[in-house]
Amino acid sequence: MVAPARAPLRTDRLRAVNEPRTVTVELHESGLMKVGRLGGRSVGNVEAILESWRIDDEWWRQPISRSYLELLLEGGKRVVVFQDLMTGLWFMQQP
Amino acid sequence: MSRRPTSSLAACVWVPLFPLRCEEARHEGLSAYPTALLAPDTTRKLWQVSPLARHAGVKPGMTVSQAIGLCPTLRLIEPDPVHYDERFSHLLSALSEVSPVVEPGELGLAYVGTDGLEGIFGSPGKILEAIRRTVGQSDGRTVRLGWGFGKFVAWVAASRSKPDEAVIVPVGSERKFLASQPIAVLPLDTDIHRRLRQLNIRTLGALAAIPEAAVTAQFGDVGKRLWRLAASRIAEPVAGRVTLEPIVVALTFFTPVSERELLVHSLEQLIARALNHPRRIGWRVHAVRLRADLEGGDVSENAGRGAACCAPTNRSWLVNVILKDPTADGDRIAAPLKVRLDQSPPTGAVERLVLEFTAFAPGTAELQLFARDAAAAARAGQQRALHHAAREVRMRVKRANLYHVIEVQPWSRLPERRYALIDYEP
Repeated sequence: MVAPARAPLRTDRLRAVNEPRTVTVELHESGLMKVGRLGGRSVGNVEAILESWRIDDEWWRQPISRSYLELLLEGGKRVVVFQDLMTGLWFMQQP
Repeated sequence: MSRRPTSSLAACVWVPLFPLRCEEARHEGLSAYPTALLAPDTTRKLWQVSPLARHAGVKPGMTVSQAIGLCPTLRLIEPDPVHYDERFSHLLSALSEVSPVVEPGELGLAYVGTDGLEGIFGSPGKILEAIRRTVGQSDGRTVRLGWGFGKFVAWVAASRSKPDEAVIVPVGSERKFLASQPIAVLPLDTDIHRRLRQLNIRTLGALAAIPEAAVTAQFGDVGKRLWRLAASRIAEPVAGRVTLEPIVVALTFFTPVSERELLVHSLEQLIARALNHPRRIGWRVHAVRLRADLEGGDVSENAGRGAACCAPTNRSWLVNVILKDPTADGDRIAAPLKVRLDQSPPTGAVERLVLEFTAFAPGTAELQLFARDAAAAARAGQQRALHHAAREVRMRVKRANLYHVIEVQPWSRLPERRYALIDYEP
């Protein structure tokens, strides 16, 4: 009988899921809010902010402070972005 | 269906951490590392933990992240319940060579009835040696053996034994032997265990010293049974597996058939009917017989039985197949029969085709955990399909981009901490 190809899984083969992706969020004087990717590609114009919340965690080691926004884009797509309040950078992530 | 054979004298065969041992057997060198088996359910927590991992503080029931935190070199293994079922079936088959009375317990645990075996092997020690020799090829290094009157005494003896030293409890000394054993050997739930410890009852002797009525009043029927086990008032015999009567299905053709395609199609229909037979549920098929009454022959009920293949006055055709791995999968049963149909087809047109399942293997006892045979068969089919799909992906893209999602910190407020991907290699 041929041994199956399954091999024990090493912990160094774990891959993160749903890692935040860097995005740009621009707010124009007209009030238009745009979300874009780093390469300059647009994700979309924001039609409405559906919800906002904040996460502050792990203050005892590497403090994490995020301000989340759930956005409704033109065309009906919903995305969740957050601003890392420690660095000021914006990220997109599945909730 | 025949009656289940029983035996009062019992040998207990126990391979602790059986699934983990199965993995170590097929991955050379794995035992040198701290390893843990993931749970086969959806929780993705740890199920079984090797002694090295336990030494590092890793325990069953932990999440992957907790375990990795304690032991960064931990090797995680995806469970393969079908493989463990098969290995356990092999173990039971091997044991049935020593005694006809074999009762499977949970995975890795089996009882062998030894009534009457003294005449063949000699003393209980010799019987256990025969059992060790039988299972020795695969599990010899890890098997624990105990012998006594009734299953419980045999189990406690096995749990006290060492890999190279069986424990034998002479008949009549059960109570003395049990008295010093910890209550943990009883089939207790955690609540009763905790309450007994709070009452400072730590050994079976201490429990047996309390009046039966008092224990029953505290713990009900469960307590009554526990007391009786502790006091050696009951000795449950080993109940052998039931030998099923053959399942027979037949198809009579309006006009005799000689085309291979039609015969194959009929064969598949018969296999499906036989697999759906109520008596087959819970059992995997181990031996199959296919026979055909040929045109112009005597189509009496006994035609084709025995070695009457192609006899001039009783024209028939017969094929017997023993399946290497018992299965409840129609395709796997059909495959060797189709080969025989190609290699030595019936010598005339077939009037009647009869399929018999003549021997069975139990769906093994993991069955409390993984459900009985239908589920096991479904799982085996799913595993095979995944295996084929994964192989195809590997062929097309040169590497397997297949992953399994596991829970890491499902409670985390940070979405990226909740789950992780781990390479999936079915």
